[in-house]
Amino acid sequence: MNQKATYVIMAFCLFLLGISLRGRGPGPGVTYVTLKWPDSLPKPVYDFSKNPLTKEGIALGRYLFYDPKLSRDSSVSCGFCHQQFAAFGHFDHPLAHGVYGRMGTRSVPTLFNLIWQKDFMWDGGVNHLDIQPMSPITAENEMDMPLNELIERLKCNEKYQQLFKAAYGTEEVTSQRMFKALAQFMATMISFDSKYDSVKRKEPGVAFTAEEAGGYSTFQQKCAGCHKEPFFTDFSARNNGLPYSPNMNDMGRMRITNNTGDYMKFKVPSLRNILVSAPYMHDGRFFDIFQVFAMYDHGQEKGSTVDPLVRGMQLSPKEQRQLYMFLNTLTDTHFLKNKEFSEVMIDD
Amino acid sequence: MNRLFLFFSLLIGNTAVSQSVILTFTHEVNHQPMRANKAYYTAQGDTFTITKFKYYLSNFSFISETEENIRLSPEYFLVSEDSAASKKVVLTGLPLGRYKAVSFMIGVDSIMNCTGAQSGALDPIYGMFWTWNSGYIMAKLEGTSPASRVPDHSLQFHIGGYRGAHQSQRMVRLNAPFVVAAEKTAVINLVADAATWFNGATPIRFSETSGFMTPGTIGDRIADNYSHMFSVKSK
Repeated sequence: MNQKATYVIMAFCLFLLGISLRGRGPGPGVTYVTLKWPDSLPKPVYDFSKNPLTKEGIALGRYLFYDPKLSRDSSVSCGFCHQQFAAFGHFDHPLAHGVYGRMGTRSVPTLFNLIWQKDFMWDGGVNHLDIQPMSPITAENEMDMPLNELIERLKCNEKYQQLFKAAYGTEEVTSQRMFKALAQFMATMISFDSKYDSVKRKEPGVAFTAEEAGGYSTFQQKCAGCHKEPFFTDFSARNNGLPYSPNMNDMGRMRITNNTGDYMKFKVPSLRNILVSAPYMHDGRFFDIFQVFAMYDHGQEKGSTVDPLVRGMQLSPKEQRQLYMFLNTLTDTHFLKNKEFSEVMIDD
Repeated sequence: MNRLFLFFSLLIGNTAVSQSVILTFTHEVNHQPMRANKAYYTAQGDTFTITKFKYYLSNFSFISETEENIRLSPEYFLVSEDSAASKKVVLTGLPLGRYKAVSFMIGVDSIMNCTGAQSGALDPIYGMFWTWNSGYIMAKLEGTSPASRVPDHSLQFHIGGYRGAHQSQRMVRLNAPFVVAAEKTAVINLVADAATWFNGATPIRFSETSGFMTPGTIGDRIADNYSHMFSVKSK
C-alpha cells in the first residue's frame, strides 16, 4: 500500500515538475541534434545547454530565416540579403538592402562558424548569437519591424502555431523562442570542408598546386596574424588601413566603445568562402579581391590606430596571383550547396 | 510515509518558514504625483513634462536586524509609469523575522546583459534593449521641454551600459523596518522621484543635454543622480 502511494505521489511530483518547466525548453517528442565539426577545433563559444538543438527547432529557425513576414512590409527576409551561394553574404551588393528600397550603411557579413564567434556585426556591438537578428529585424533601413508587432504577427499565423508547438511543445510565440530557433538554424551553418581542409586533413589524392602552396606561404607570412587559422579570423576588431570614407562617416568600433583608440576598427572577416562573397570591406567598396590586395600594397591610410601587422605591407604581382589561387582553396562548395540550408517555400 | 509527506509538503509550499513581501512604487516629481503632460521644473529652472518613465529593478536583498544579508533568488522587474500592475513587486521566499533595510539594483546585472535571448520582464519587446550595442536600457525617461534644442523639443534619456568604463547599474539601500510573519504579508511603500535625474550631483540643463541614448559618461552621471530617487513613503 505504502509503495503504491509512493509511486502515485512521485508521479504527481513529476507532473508538477513538468508543468513548472513547461514553455522553457524543447517540447516533448523532439529529436535532439548533435552538430559535428573537426576534433581539432576549440569548444564553441555558444552555450548549447541554454538552447538544446532539435530537428524541430532548427526547422522553425530555417522557416523564420526565409520568411519575409519578419519585415514590416513582408518584402525582405533574412535570406534576402544572406544568400547561401554567397556563403550567406549578399552577392554583388556593397550595402545591405531593406524594406521600401531603403539602403543600409554596411555590407552584409557572411554567415558560418558563428558558434565560435564571441561578438557580431562589423563593429562587434552585438554580444550574443541569440540576439543578433534583433538588429537587422528592427533597423529602420533593413527590416524595420518592431519586435512586439512581429510577435503578434507570428502568433496569428497557423503555420507558426504548428512550428512553435513542434519545437517547444506549445503554440506560444515569444521573442525568446523565436530568437533561439533562429540561433539553432544559424548554429548548424558550419563550413570546414574546403580543399584547404582536405589538404590539412591529408586526405588521399588532395594536395595544393605549386601556385596554391606559394599563396599559402604568402598568407602565412602576411595575412595569418589577423586571419588566423583555422577560422581565418581571430575574431578581433582591427584597423586594416582602409581609408576613411567621408560620405559614409563610419568609424567602426569607436561608436560602440566611445574610445578613440578604436577609430576605424572593424571585425576581421573570415577568409573562408571569400571568393564567393564579394564585395569586400565593411562598406563593400571593393568588388574584386585584387582591389583588396592593392589596398594593402599601396592604398592604406596612415593613422595611429592602423594595425602594426598591416603597416607597410607589400604584395608583389606574383604574391597577389598566388594568394588568389590559395584563397580559391577556401571555398567550401559542400557548404554552399548543402540542401539543409537552402531556401524553404513560404506560401502565405 | 511520514518522510514522504514532509517532502511532499515542502514541494507544495514552504509553510511557515518564509513569506512574501510586497513593494509598491509611487512615482513623483518634486514631491508631486507624476502626471502625463503636467509641467514640472528642474532645480536649474527648466520646465519639462514626462511622457515615459520606466526602470529595471533586480538583485533584491533584505538586511535583518542582526545585519544578516538575505539575498533572494534572481528576479527582474520592469516598473513602468504606464502600468499600474508593474508598480507592485511581489518578492517571495523571505525567511520570517525582523528586518531593517531593503537593498536592490536599479538595472540589470552584467550577466543578463550578455547571455542571449531572455523572457519575462527581460523580453526585448518592451523596448528596453539596445539592438546595435547589446545591453539593457536600465532606466528610461522621455518627455518634452521648451529648453530642448531638438526640433520637437523632446527629451530622451535612455540610460544603460554594463561593461568597461560605463556601467550604469546602481545599488540602492533604504532603511525600512518591517516584520515578516507567517500570518501577514509585509508591505513596503516606496516613492521614486523623477526630478532627481536632473537635480543631483550632476545638474542637467536641457538646453545642453536633451537626451542621451548610449553607454557613456553623461549616462553614468544621470545614473548617479537617480540612484537617489527612491525613498520610503512617509505615512
